[in-house]
Amino acid sequence: MTATATTPVTAADVPPLVLRDVTVAFAGLTALDAVSFTVEPGTVHALIGPNGAGKSTAFNVVSGIYRCGAGSVRFGDHDLTSLRPHRIARLGVARAFQNIALSKGQTVVENLMLGRHGLTRAGFVRSGLRLPSATREGVRHGARVREIAAFVGLGDKLDRPAGLLSYGDQKRVEVARALACEPRLLLLDEPVAGMNADEKARMAGLIAQVRKELGISILLVEHDMGLVMGISDRVTVLDFGRCIAEGTPAEVQTDPEVVKAYLGTGEEP
Amino acid sequence: MSETATLPATAVPAQAQRRRRVRPSALARIGLIALLAVLPLYIDVGLLTIGLFAMAAVVAAIGLTILVGAAGQLSLAHAFFLAVGAYGYAYFAGSAGVAGASSATGLGLDPLLAAVLAVLVAGFVGLLFSPIASRLRGIYLGVASLSLVFIGEFLYENVRSVTGGFNGRAAPPFSLFGWEFTDANTLVVAGVPFGRFEKLWELFLIVLVLSYLFANNVLRGRMGRAMQTMRDSEVAAAVMGVDVRRTKAGVFVLSSMYAGLGGVMVALAFGRLTPSYFSLALSIGFLAAIVVGGLGSVGGAAVGAFFVTAGPLLITRYSSSLPFISASGSGGYDGGKAAALLYGLAVVLVVLFEPGGLAGLGQRLTGRRTARVLAPAPLTGSSKPEESS
Repeated sequence: MTATATTPVTAADVPPLVLRDVTVAFAGLTALDAVSFTVEPGTVHALIGPNGAGKSTAFNVVSGIYRCGAGSVRFGDHDLTSLRPHRIARLGVARAFQNIALSKGQTVVENLMLGRHGLTRAGFVRSGLRLPSATREGVRHGARVREIAAFVGLGDKLDRPAGLLSYGDQKRVEVARALACEPRLLLLDEPVAGMNADEKARMAGLIAQVRKELGISILLVEHDMGLVMGISDRVTVLDFGRCIAEGTPAEVQTDPEVVKAYLGTGEEP
Repeated sequence: MSETATLPATAVPAQAQRRRRVRPSALARIGLIALLAVLPLYIDVGLLTIGLFAMAAVVAAIGLTILVGAAGQLSLAHAFFLAVGAYGYAYFAGSAGVAGASSATGLGLDPLLAAVLAVLVAGFVGLLFSPIASRLRGIYLGVASLSLVFIGEFLYENVRSVTGGFNGRAAPPFSLFGWEFTDANTLVVAGVPFGRFEKLWELFLIVLVLSYLFANNVLRGRMGRAMQTMRDSEVAAAVMGVDVRRTKAGVFVLSSMYAGLGGVMVALAFGRLTPSYFSLALSIGFLAAIVVGGLGSVGGAAVGAFFVTAGPLLITRYSSSLPFISASGSGGYDGGKAAALLYGLAVVLVVLFEPGGLAGLGQRLTGRRTARVLAPAPLTGSSKPEESS
């Protein structure tokens, strides 16, 4: 099944993502305070921290939904800092959302085809008149989307409305839709949040498979420490918008700052 | 497999080969079109006129359901764009220096060219409004678009050279390559003389079918998917590579052009244009039509627009044989009022019991609950756990 998933990009194409001194403030609240880290090509980089630490804000800056007040975000040669989201997506940065943002009334295939939006051209006139170029484009990209669906294990649910799938499957559609963009950097926002143990194991396997077979970089926000420590190459820890530690999973786990941030000072002695 | 550009009756996306076989519903549609095509042989001019108005409304409503239902943008300016199309046609095709009381002039262009230009002008006016349309969402756009209705009401009365002012102006009859859609050169089909209304009927039917297919193709294509995701979540659409502003502008222009085409058809059916027709009530009637039909469903919009447009006219026509309906002007419930009550009731019933509208109801009855109902309401998230951020 996975043999059909031809590798769209080679690891050589994958540039590093570099955040430098990124600062975001909302009306007096500093959500990110001079945060810097680098996602090396082809690695799984985890972003962890307590609630409100600024992880989702960091994601929103990378994908262009928020502008940072200071600092810069670079993806290889491209400066993402002032680009609008769809431009960033077309550079190969794709994102799976934490709270599922699928079109629930559309089928799985239609949701995945949305991921091909930046890679396809057919506009109102060409689709409306069903010109051969639009039809051919649809067939070609439809075939690729089916490969991707098979790759994430959704091959048998292609024509079901996304809203009728189980929670775990919807999360997989999220990941598949992001993969349908042929990304070079995949942003995963809490991919296993709310999942049971079975679904978690499948998702962890999928992430490992994506990394191994597609060779792309993955930036991951996740609360599930078992998953983070199991699949990450590097971990950046945020607390109150500041970067308090960075290193391999083993280094981060024993860092006193991290332990303090997670266990707090007043909760447990 | 067939990759030809011909339009099959079931406008199925090419990649969905599974659905490619001819469905019973496709046969039913072909049958319906055939029935409509021969109808002028059997019905009188009064019913023909009602049918022409209904078809014009259906085309305009298809444009509105793309904007409101599929893309999630609200517009109250649909009547304005109908007026642009209608007056545009009358102005481009009208003869220069009309005699009589009307102060309206015209460019005297070929009617087909005038119709095409009128649709393009409606699209262009939509484009002029798109800096606003592309930055606002939902109800906010609805309120902003309301301004166009009032600007329109001012223009209809005051740009007399185009609109003829309060008393309106005549719209010249259509002609195709010199063949006039008037009663002048009547041809006889199966013993029935084909005059202006019969000819227009067949023309409108062709325009309607093409408009329907085009809209369905757009909705099932790349831009259709983009606008539906944009409706459900703008952020998700943008992050997936959809240029949200551009898509919104494009949808607004497309919807304006559909309204413009509907306006041209109104001009042809009426033969005369008056400002009072293009009021806010017309816009609201269209919204009622697409809600009753099922938001985002092209077929639903067609049925809904037929219901809302032809309903009052039919009730008025048959008021003498219907209970509780009094003749127009006699003080009781005349056809217009009764129909307004009826479709108000229909809107309430749809919102309460079948948010998918008539389209959703039809799918439920035929057991074909697929993703074709584009309205978000019927399919809500199944098992969403608590957010954990």
